[in-house]
Amino acid sequence: MTDLVVNGESVTVDAAPDTALLWVLREHLGLTGTKFGCGAGMCGACTVHVDGQPAFACLTPIDSVAGSAVTTIEGLPGADDHPLKRAWVAEQVPQCGYCQSGQIMRAAALLEENPNPPRQEIVAAMSGNLCRCGTYNRIVKAVQRAATEA
Amino acid sequence: MALTRRAFMASSAALTFAVGSGGILQVASAEGGEAQGLAANAWVRIDPDDTITIVFPSTEMGQGSSSALPLILAEELDADWDLVRIEQLSRDDRTFGNPIFGGVLYTAGSTGVYGYFDSLRTAGAQVRRLLMQRAAEKWSVPPDSLTTEPSHVVHAASGRRLSYGALAALPGPLPAIPEVSETDFKARGDYRLIGQNVPRRDVPAKSSGRESYAIDVRIPDMLYAAVLRSPVEGETPLEIDDSAALAVPGVLRTVELPDGVAVIAEQLEAALTGKDSLDVTWTETAPARAFDSAADLADYTAAADDAARAGVAWRSVGDAAAAIEAADRVVSADYLSDYAYHAQIEPMAAVAAVEADGHGAEVWVGSQTQSWTMRTITEVLQTTPDRVRLHMMTMGGSFGRRTALTQEYLRDALLASKAVGRPVKVVWTREDDVKHGAFRPAAAQKLRAGLTAEGRLSGWHHRIATPSVIAYFNPLRWDQVAPTDIISVRGSESKFYAIDDLLAEHVITERRARLAPWRGIGASYTSFAAEAFMDELAEAAGKDPLAFRLDLMNDNTRGRRLLETVAERAGWGGPTGETALGLSFAGYGDSMAAGIAEVAVDRDSGRITVQRFWAAVDAGLIISPDNALAQVEGGIVFGLSSSLKESITTEGGEVVQNNFYDYEILRADEVPEIDIQLQVSDGPPTGIGEVGTPMVAAAVANAFHALTGKRLRHLPFTPDRVMAALA
Repeated sequence: MTDLVVNGESVTVDAAPDTALLWVLREHLGLTGTKFGCGAGMCGACTVHVDGQPAFACLTPIDSVAGSAVTTIEGLPGADDHPLKRAWVAEQVPQCGYCQSGQIMRAAALLEENPNPPRQEIVAAMSGNLCRCGTYNRIVKAVQRAATEA
Repeated sequence: MALTRRAFMASSAALTFAVGSGGILQVASAEGGEAQGLAANAWVRIDPDDTITIVFPSTEMGQGSSSALPLILAEELDADWDLVRIEQLSRDDRTFGNPIFGGVLYTAGSTGVYGYFDSLRTAGAQVRRLLMQRAAEKWSVPPDSLTTEPSHVVHAASGRRLSYGALAALPGPLPAIPEVSETDFKARGDYRLIGQNVPRRDVPAKSSGRESYAIDVRIPDMLYAAVLRSPVEGETPLEIDDSAALAVPGVLRTVELPDGVAVIAEQLEAALTGKDSLDVTWTETAPARAFDSAADLADYTAAADDAARAGVAWRSVGDAAAAIEAADRVVSADYLSDYAYHAQIEPMAAVAAVEADGHGAEVWVGSQTQSWTMRTITEVLQTTPDRVRLHMMTMGGSFGRRTALTQEYLRDALLASKAVGRPVKVVWTREDDVKHGAFRPAAAQKLRAGLTAEGRLSGWHHRIATPSVIAYFNPLRWDQVAPTDIISVRGSESKFYAIDDLLAEHVITERRARLAPWRGIGASYTSFAAEAFMDELAEAAGKDPLAFRLDLMNDNTRGRRLLETVAERAGWGGPTGETALGLSFAGYGDSMAAGIAEVAVDRDSGRITVQRFWAAVDAGLIISPDNALAQVEGGIVFGLSSSLKESITTEGGEVVQNNFYDYEILRADEVPEIDIQLQVSDGPPTGIGEVGTPMVAAAVANAFHALTGKRLRHLPFTPDRVMAALA
């Protein structure tokens, strides 16, 4: 049993301590907004926040985050009114959409760190997240829009 | 939301319309017993509350046709788009089939919009006229005194108006289904939806983590399966030691599959750990054990070189051999391309709940074809479609991956669920997805052409040595089309140029890997070869690459305008410094694109960077300009990624690569600024999902030549190949 705090709620999870946070979020807790892409920290589809910092849930054993605050796409404040989600819609970013939760979580961590990042900083921060549909340039525009409108 | 029979029967006096490729087949009011049967077959349904439900007959993998197709029908119906609900078709009902594929439900080849365009327009126009007739009868006025505004029929003379829902709810007999013809369709200038940037319906859910993919499905009592698949195609388990796997807490049992072993567990993590703990001895006797990608390219090159080896003509005009023979000079060059992987970010996954008798099931899966998915299910369970409740899920990318006649990830979920008697979710790891992928084939191509003394093209011969993709991924289809394989050789027709004597032919080589369609299909490598060669010809002729191409455009004024547009946007003809420009002109089907890449090279590392890319695209009528731009941009990024990085290799029949660390795809910091001009023309829609990709590789190779004087003739242009070219 491991105690976690996910999106502000305390939960007790019946899983081995070395279980990847990703499987616990998705399959034990049903928070499927966080996606599985590679299991190797290469694609960023599983990006969540641990105490506000971006983390690959696929490489994060649950015992390493016991007592930490885990935030998933479902837990971003404001629900669909979050500036990044609004910007994603305004820029019509997603195509298949599968990577976009991870992209948004990465962008949210960036804007938390620097509310008004220059383009180069956005591109650098977003380069940890793959998008096979090729929405990269729209992602950058959406982050810029969110920074402006937040 | 699924339209259940219960919901249908509960509503009063809805109108339903069953529509075939030729228009409405049947219409019925929900009142009366007959209508209950029709509800299961309705394309369009108008409820008294004004909700209009339109069936989406394709599947969604990111291309946006789940919005675009219903929008076409809504346009001719003159529906209020905000009142339209979209319903995914999840049955193999050929009434809704794509006419391009003989009625098979198959989402591929950029055919959604153009394949269904006439069916959807006809259906929308018929329903609109039928509603107008109902209103005319109700008001006792001539039908031609009526007009429509979004979701309303209006009688301007008397100021009366009725909503579509109110008209649907009227009692009384239904009018006969009206005939409509081209002249009944809206003039393009009257469109309210087509050509506007109507936002995609799927974007809000995809911008908030709410969209549900097959891999996300969770149902009560569900177990998980991880599958250890034979490392070499065609081999089977000889001995299975699953004692360590069964010792993993949560693992329930293993199930032997035709080419693998499934570990079934209460949790996904247990299934995955159990899979890693399996000790399986495979039969090591399959012919595929001899497969080696380096040898494949060498052998395909030899096949292309072997003049005695007959090719299958893909396009033949005039007499290419004679024209080349008669030419003043002959130019020739060989081009190679590696295997490429789809790299969709959602790994293969499926959920199956097989019933106790083993012949019924509920299934959740993403695929590009309801028809072959249903066929996979009925073949595996030896059953009939009426025993299957299928849920076609939106896909986390596909790019051709989920198109095959037999879908192995789904088969495994069915077999596992049947064996354990509980619902099972199969999840592939990224390593499973790479190692057991189905790839764009490797190819060797030989281009030969003649030049007259004046430097004009005289004869064009494009010879492609590559396996048949169709023969592998859909043998039933191959029986119909053999020996012609559009997937292996599309693009080599070079039909946008006026070339009097042309032969494009396919030397069908031995298949040495699992193959599948891949975004742009054959054009992703045939257009690389053709357009890189076009630059080599221009150089040999002493002409500018743009002028040389324009000279071949003759009466293709749309193509000419694309070249001129992209040249102007990119500043073609300017000085070359640290970067250089490369031009390419390619297409996909009847859609055309011109592209220019601006490229820089790090001569120490051999790394190419593409700094800007300009494109001009003509795909006929555009349903949604914004989504068209997104598709072309995505196609360009896909093309750049495969041009610069992507290569699958095999050794001893096994795929060498594992994951995104050794099969890299383009990242945000490697994507150029992209400028796209959409040239909207009067023609019908011709497809937008793939036209961005084929032009890209040659534009990069041609820019590299402009910068360095060296040719890149082997896709992808990895640093080692770049260094070899520069040496």
